[in-house]
Amino acid sequence: MRADDDGNEFLRSIVHAEFDAHATYRDVRRLCLEAAHYRLGAVFIHPVHCARAMEALAGSDVRIIAAVAFPTGAFTIAGKVCEARDALSRGADGICYVVDVGALRSGKDAAIADEMRALREAVRDRPLTAVLETSVLTDEQTERACILAADATIDFIAPATGFVTTREPLIEAVRRMTKLAAPHVGIAALGEIETLDTAHALIDAGATRLYTATGVQIAQELQENTS
Amino acid sequence: MNRVKLARLIKTGILGVDVTEQDVRSDIEKAKGFPFSAYAVDLSYLELARELLEGTGILLTAAVSYPLGGMTLATKLDQIRFALRVRAEEINATLNISAIRSGDYASVRCELEAMAETAAGAIDVIVIPQFDVLTSEEKLRTCETILEAGVRAIKTDGHGGLCRPEDILLVRRALGRNLSIEASGGIRTTQQALELLDAGADFIHTSTAYSVMEDAEEL
Repeated sequence: MRADDDGNEFLRSIVHAEFDAHATYRDVRRLCLEAAHYRLGAVFIHPVHCARAMEALAGSDVRIIAAVAFPTGAFTIAGKVCEARDALSRGADGICYVVDVGALRSGKDAAIADEMRALREAVRDRPLTAVLETSVLTDEQTERACILAADATIDFIAPATGFVTTREPLIEAVRRMTKLAAPHVGIAALGEIETLDTAHALIDAGATRLYTATGVQIAQELQENTS
Repeated sequence: MNRVKLARLIKTGILGVDVTEQDVRSDIEKAKGFPFSAYAVDLSYLELARELLEGTGILLTAAVSYPLGGMTLATKLDQIRFALRVRAEEINATLNISAIRSGDYASVRCELEAMAETAAGAIDVIVIPQFDVLTSEEKLRTCETILEAGVRAIKTDGHGGLCRPEDILLVRRALGRNLSIEASGGIRTTQQALELLDAGADFIHTSTAYSVMEDAEEL
């Protein structure tokens, strides 16, 4: 195993995620306390939970990443910008938004470029992640989105929202995206990452951020392996 | 029941991450052949759908904070104002399900009142309480809160989940005819639609309207 790994850096790459918008206030508080306890890098939550997360994480260095336009991406650019600004004003440190995948599939690349630029501007120097749904895109469409993301200086790009059941395993999607994305754009993997082995495999495949509901299990496994 | 009669009780639409502009165009073209009650799209296609549905008699429905309801009230109101500008006739807005499940009905009521105020009677407010993740008690308490806030219509589910006649009966028995109920979630056959209507649903929402109408003449 990787007992010699820099465990801290690995844990900081994990984003403890609450994908369910219907999670209760207690669920969100617990998510935040767990992230702080296990020194995970961030929590991922829906905007309606931002204020509560900020309260729970006061004094910790766990970042708050807010979901924008989840999970369909089928909102207007102005609407996404409004949602992102609103989330930042409520305590989010970064934004993870779903690209207008339907527009990308309709060949409207200019709209995608506008959207990415508008969000980059709204989010300023905070980390910005653009999420695709590559299971409904051709390789060519995915590649075009990757180029546009690099042009717009998006920080991370993700192949999937984790909301769509796909035939392709997450690791394959990450591998394909790593090949297509510019080297300075990070890769975020969102979805079911059940074990430490899977987490390491995703990082080996090119992922630089892991959004998963299982941050605690992964951190515990790491502790057991290194103790 | 004949096909035309059933179509009048059906609300349909095209929603989701993979929908292309061409999908919207061809689906609406097909829908125009039936007297559907309403047609729902995601906000990214609202302007296009407005143009395509003009003069058809089918109402345009804007999906607000759809399907999860995890957006803040500020974002939901921004989306409602957009729907008003585009002249949509209805909104389908998912409620703050987290607040419901946390027992925070004061926040739910606040959200409902703000949405109704923003809609200002210019657009029909239909809210989604996401029945598939609520207990019976939560379903009833939420519907009571909806009525208290002056909202008169629900659509049972956003996505996922299966709408069951028991849910419709539960709400009808407790609240009578005060609330308009649009049954939605996994409705794919005429049989299912008729069962839900018999249980007291006012409308059926289905993305597969044609298969729902298929056996209308026989049943």
